Amino acid sequence: MAIDARKILHAVMEGSRIRDSKGIIPLFGVYLSLFSVEYYNQVSFNFSKKMGKKMEKEAERLLIEAAQECGYATFQGIRNSWEWDELVAPMIEKDEDNIYGFCALAMAFGWGDMRVTNLIPGEKLVIRVTDSYEAGGYMKRFGQATSGKCFMLRGVTAAFMGLLYGDEYPWGCFSFMAEEILCRAKGDPYCEFIARKSPGYGTE
Amino acid sequence: MKLIDWRKELSRDGHRVVLSGLPVAIHCHHYNINLHKTLEEALGSEGIELIYDAAEEASYIAFNVLLNQYSRIKTIKSRLELAAANYQNCGLGILHFQKIGPRGGKIVSTSSHHVTGWLAKNGRRDTPGCHFCRGWIAGVLEIIYNRGLGFYEIEEVSCKMMRDEACVFRVKER
Repeated sequence: MAIDARKILHAVMEGSRIRDSKGIIPLFGVYLSLFSVEYYNQVSFNFSKKMGKKMEKEAERLLIEAAQECGYATFQGIRNSWEWDELVAPMIEKDEDNIYGFCALAMAFGWGDMRVTNLIPGEKLVIRVTDSYEAGGYMKRFGQATSGKCFMLRGVTAAFMGLLYGDEYPWGCFSFMAEEILCRAKGDPYCEFIARKSPGYGTE
Repeated sequence: MKLIDWRKELSRDGHRVVLSGLPVAIHCHHYNINLHKTLEEALGSEGIELIYDAAEEASYIAFNVLLNQYSRIKTIKSRLELAAANYQNCGLGILHFQKIGPRGGKIVSTSSHHVTGWLAKNGRRDTPGCHFCRGWIAGVLEIIYNRGLGFYEIEEVSCKMMRDEACVFRVKER
């Protein structure tokens, strides 16, 4: 694999220590912030709870959609940044390497140890995460879940495929959808996400 | 005087990012603002309250952990300075603790991650929108003045998301 995740991690850690005079961290074409994972978990899980049992699926859909749109816009900004051009682009030998580059960055951001276990270009992406902060946070607060709880990682997995194999930006955001087939919050040994083409996409 | 070496505070524990001993995630304005908008649109004032409460609790816990590690930072003035530096070092923006005391006061923010992000993604809004910042301020002040969680109420009286000159927060006891 051509992507050197250690170099990417080092660049993110160094860049995250630099603020401009306005207290903003502009890095890889986006504005970054560092904040407790507890905040993100509390916002997501309390939102889902507040929406009520009947609206639980709708709440999850909204959270996944928010993350997918974020992942799509964020990594579009990232891959158009000078940092990407300088650091990551020279490591890319084939299209699929972009996905490995995205995962290395997400890992550097502290989103979890994202590992690509299967990638069929244009068709399917499988990502495995053994320490998602969402799954860990859910279990800590509520105990074992009956469904997957990693809404952010699920949206982001689909966004990676949308960016690479969907329609030209910004039209391909929801061209792929992801499922979380295994989740540590359910008692599985790791979380696993599979992104596939959205139903009906590309059939016209 | 330099209170803390922030470069050392930000580290890694394997694939996790750790700030002053607590796990953090690096997220960009797209995600932070999307979450904000999703909660606000779906739940209205209850969604706003969720953001505020989550930020308040998280900053309360994190600032307490940070202060416990630096027992030499004792005065109110130096704790307020530390809070402002912490906010800035997390990429959240600039806070000026102006007329502030244990009963309340005024805080001004001239720049913020959430304002920059909101304006970039959604443009001007008609109501104050710094719910995260209000909660964050409440949490740190409750630690600084040794009060319990939920003691202070923070109101945003002007907001840069509405194209006001600065975000101005009034602090009072609940």
